[in-house]
Amino acid sequence: MFGLRAGFAGGIRLPVTERSDGDGLIRQLAFAPLLRLPLRQHAGAASVAVVRAGDEVQRGQLLARAEDDSAVPLHAPATGRVVRITEQADAETGTVREIELAPLPGDTQEEVLKPALVAERCRPDELLLAIREAGIVGQGGEAGPTHLRLARARERGVRVLVINGIEGEPGFCRVPALLARHARDLLSGLRCLLRVLETDQAVLAVESPDGEAAGAMLDSAVDGPCPTLRILPPRYPQGAAELLLRRLAADSRGFSAAEAVVFSLGTVAEIGRLLGGGRVVTDQLLTLAGDGLREPGNYRVPLGTPVGFALARAGAEAELDRVLLGGLMRGRSLAGLERPITKATTGLVAVSARSAARLPQPTSCIRCGECVAACPVQLHPAELGLLARRGEVEAMVDEWHLERCFECGCCSYVCPSHIPLVQMFRAAKLQHRRARQLATAEAAA
Amino acid sequence: MTSSTRPLRLLGAPHLHAGSAVPALMLHSVIALLPVTLFAVALFGLAALATMVVAILACLLAERVCGPRSAMGDGSAMLTGLLLGLSLPPALPLWMVAVGGFVAVAVGKHLFGGLGGPAFHPVLVGRVFLQAAFPTAMAQAWVTPLAAGRATELPATSLALPFLSPAAPYDGISGATPLTALKGGEATEPMLNLWLGTVAGSVGETSALLLLLGGLYLAYRRVIDWRVPLAILATVAVFSAILHGHDAERFPPALVALSSGGLMLGAWFLATDPGISPMTRRGAWIYGLAIGLLVIVIRQFSGQAEGVVYALLLGSALTPHIDRWTRPRPLPEGVER
Repeated sequence: MFGLRAGFAGGIRLPVTERSDGDGLIRQLAFAPLLRLPLRQHAGAASVAVVRAGDEVQRGQLLARAEDDSAVPLHAPATGRVVRITEQADAETGTVREIELAPLPGDTQEEVLKPALVAERCRPDELLLAIREAGIVGQGGEAGPTHLRLARARERGVRVLVINGIEGEPGFCRVPALLARHARDLLSGLRCLLRVLETDQAVLAVESPDGEAAGAMLDSAVDGPCPTLRILPPRYPQGAAELLLRRLAADSRGFSAAEAVVFSLGTVAEIGRLLGGGRVVTDQLLTLAGDGLREPGNYRVPLGTPVGFALARAGAEAELDRVLLGGLMRGRSLAGLERPITKATTGLVAVSARSAARLPQPTSCIRCGECVAACPVQLHPAELGLLARRGEVEAMVDEWHLERCFECGCCSYVCPSHIPLVQMFRAAKLQHRRARQLATAEAAA
Repeated sequence: MTSSTRPLRLLGAPHLHAGSAVPALMLHSVIALLPVTLFAVALFGLAALATMVVAILACLLAERVCGPRSAMGDGSAMLTGLLLGLSLPPALPLWMVAVGGFVAVAVGKHLFGGLGGPAFHPVLVGRVFLQAAFPTAMAQAWVTPLAAGRATELPATSLALPFLSPAAPYDGISGATPLTALKGGEATEPMLNLWLGTVAGSVGETSALLLLLGGLYLAYRRVIDWRVPLAILATVAVFSAILHGHDAERFPPALVALSSGGLMLGAWFLATDPGISPMTRRGAWIYGLAIGLLVIVIRQFSGQAEGVVYALLLGSALTPHIDRWTRPRPLPEGVER
């Protein structure tokens, strides 16, 4: 009923969080004394270093080239000296190489610039290559290489470009900042994407708090294609690409989900800003949020900046309870603050020790079904939770579709028994993946 | 560079919570039952008060003996006791009330694995146990509403000693509830009295209006799924209207069917217990429909005067099947991920 009209059932209404966007202000963060640049910055393959320890590099100069199709090149976020190249532990591949770069003191940070591109005067394949060469990856959280997604959409013959202007996490405020400060970049990025997709249909989707700003941004477009604005009532997690497409396709009837592709607002702005200026990715736009910061808001942070350095510049309190890489719904809590900001980071949350809530003890499931109603991909979290407790990972995957869970957190959010469902599902997925790896290794032996 | 002066806590996402909690849900239910509880005391006096207090104490005792330490604070045993007290005849010997309360929690709840485990509502288990063990007392321990002296003295039967015949036979007491009267073909109470509740009946089942009010509060607070009571009451209304239209002599009109017996208490406060109702929204409709049909079938076509208790038991027996039929199907994977 309701679910069909809205494209998907479930999801939750989060309480309105105060956003510290300061009229879309974006502050530039200074360089940390040492920048750490893992060669795996995003989903996909790692890139391959082309510099050696001791090399002097200029801001924007190539540090690592992309060999695999699912990789993008990595550029120097600052003018400085390569201190060393180390091996670091990596969850997925065991180890990943990491470049340590010491920026030169002072403000001699001139960038290496390439010729600026104008979408209308370029062929689609030139634009695709330029997007890859600029080192752009998705800014919506999933952080896959943008050129790859775009190339696949082009092959699929996508008719509609959906720009996802929905804030992925409560308290994040990148959307209003991009709309207010990057209108020109957004429009030029949009033209570029439409040119590659060879279509002129675009939809900009935002949630109602950003509706006005989005309207103003579109009004500033004097010529060229103008996207249709869709203002949605807030509902988490409708910003997930798959759900957003369903939502839009369900009540516009103008297109089906298969005919469209989603790019996040941040990605579109990045394409416009970098290609239009002949630049490459050297920094990352983040929301630094949480009551542990005296100056929360949007920051442009050089790649490789340690989390702790960024938080300190945003006025972090001495006593923090938790630091989250990501937002309140999906963010991972960090044990240490040395970890660098990468192209996949969309924000940080610092929770002050003052507001450290005591965690309620989980109690047994009362079968209320709130989680079933909240799950946006229509899984059965309560059943999955029972199976997880009994260790029946196989049944979770084979019969109850655990792999469709994208860990949005809605089930844990609504559970009156405070059962850590998402954590249990993560653990089960990991266990399943390990078991499968083991099985394939044995079969090969 | 910030390095927090205390170790950072490692917690799993999400880091937000809706704020709902099991004890709060129980508390809301108790609040919703307050008007009807006070009304019961006004109507039946000391007898009603004693019945509810003894039922609650017996449930708390059973929780303490059988349950884990941590469960005492969640309020569920108190709610069970209150609901049981409300569903019993007011002049039932108090020792029977105590046995019923203990059985409800010890057998009905903890034998099935504690909170969330039971397949049947513990209150119904307690009630059915009493019905089976003490059929005479359960059928006759009614009290005339608004009787003189209700505020100062207990009916003699309330204080009867265990396993001895009641000190006084039940004859000093109103013989029949509106439903038994209906069954016997006698004239029924005026409709208004049924809704207001100034009639003979169980401690807290007489005032349909106050129960409706409490139920609406729970639905508004999102403590219960409104689909369940709506489906039950709508089915009862439609089904009894059809029967009444067919034979007005034999079958009561819909408004009487809705306001009599334990229907309101059952539909809003018992059927909605998360443990015994289906987990899906589609399932809630089927479950409510089944219970509504069963209520009328049992009331009109069986030897029983009241059908709510057995309808609820049968309905909750269906729940696992309904859950299987309405199992959510995962959203098909789209092209775009």
